[in-house]
Amino acid sequence: MASPRLIMKMKVASLRSEAGDVSVVEFRHPRRPQLPPFEAGSHVDIHMPGGKVRQYSLMGDPADLSRYLIGVKREEAGRGGSAWLHANLKVGDELAVSAPRNHFRLHNEAQAHLLLGGGIGITPMIAMARALKAQGKAFVLHFFARSRMMAPMLADLETELPADHLVLHFDDDPATVVDLAELLKEQKDGTHLYYCGPPGFMAWARASSTHWKPDTVHFEAFQPEEDPNFVPQAFTIQLRSTGQELNVPADTSALTMLRAAGVLLFSSCENGVCGSCECGFVTGEPIHRDAVLSPEAKTRRFISCVSRAKGRIVLDL
Amino acid sequence: MAQSWSGELLHIHIAPAASYEMEELAEARLIAGKGIEGDRYFLGTGTYSPKPDVRDVTLIETEVLEQLAAGEPKMPGIKLDLAPGDHRRNLTTRGVPLNHLVGQRFRIGETVLRGARLNFPCKYIEELLGMPRLFDGLLNRSGLNCAIEVGGIIRPGDRIVPMES
Repeated sequence: MASPRLIMKMKVASLRSEAGDVSVVEFRHPRRPQLPPFEAGSHVDIHMPGGKVRQYSLMGDPADLSRYLIGVKREEAGRGGSAWLHANLKVGDELAVSAPRNHFRLHNEAQAHLLLGGGIGITPMIAMARALKAQGKAFVLHFFARSRMMAPMLADLETELPADHLVLHFDDDPATVVDLAELLKEQKDGTHLYYCGPPGFMAWARASSTHWKPDTVHFEAFQPEEDPNFVPQAFTIQLRSTGQELNVPADTSALTMLRAAGVLLFSSCENGVCGSCECGFVTGEPIHRDAVLSPEAKTRRFISCVSRAKGRIVLDL
Repeated sequence: MAQSWSGELLHIHIAPAASYEMEELAEARLIAGKGIEGDRYFLGTGTYSPKPDVRDVTLIETEVLEQLAAGEPKMPGIKLDLAPGDHRRNLTTRGVPLNHLVGQRFRIGETVLRGARLNFPCKYIEELLGMPRLFDGLLNRSGLNCAIEVGGIIRPGDRIVPMES
């Protein structure tokens, strides 16, 4: 079972508008001068009124634990979390913020790091670039945006990063446009790839890196890729500890049935991105529909809020 | 039982739901048979709320926290700084022999509690706080789960005294 995380009521210490309809929110704790530590690539859960929980990457300096910084792009067509934050958040407000979790860590064994941030997907890359720069590691950050005017946090990045560490790509500036297939054509020995961005960017990066060694490619998605042809089917879960069998109807999640059976599983996003409800599976054929598990983890782990199975699966619960 | 001890309530903590950081209160209302107003086990939003048990209110001795901070007992020598807000019990006491109060009634201020069962530590809190070995450190001294027989207001500084059971 994934670790539970402490949820803290934190104060909005400042709000700053950035290009591309992005708001940078600074959280501080009313009583704790030192927050739970985090590494580059980590995210926190933000709990909003009405039970909405959303994940945001931490973009601040992991060495500064007096505050957490997130960048929130207003997504009119989203599920309502970012629109709520943009419409309602004021300095001094209190919001429930979880301790950080990291599914997107830097791999120290890499000889070089290639970071790709598309639009608001730049946020985890900022923390990564800062960490890599502080450690004196070899890296290049490629930032993809519609235009210079729409690129959030650009001024900070241009100030902090030397020109050979930051490459900008703007759709409206043909001289800067690059095809990812070309950029990722060759994998230099020891280079790890990290990418984050909106769904189209994720699909582009994934398709352009299929020839890379799987354990050198890392990504973080805002939402799992939707397969419009997927038709959920009923399946059966067996609990390894008790042998109990649970039937999961086609229109119900595994997590819902596990909870109904009294199994204590934590959850947060219930959208396949945060990993809170992760558990192991022993035998069976899972249909992974999450955006958390690495290819290796998919051979033995299961995200019960969105993933399903063919026939019967035995979960390590 | 003759009155043989007398203790004090040091801290009151509640959390609105599972995993939420505990908040310290200067005053709390205990509701008979239910819990502390605003706490997750009063609201039914606690980690263990779905499991039937008595946990209207949970208590732990500050003496245990002091021993843990000092790494006592030397064997196994588990040394952890567990602040009163971190242990996730509701009430921190001094001078109250909690392990001897199963089935016993006692007063805190104007309220009456009955010791229901010894609390047992859980791995959940160990993971939540990122404190490996906390589970072992609290074994056999993890406090007491109580039922509230007579509700009312409690405040830090209230006397805790035994009653005839």
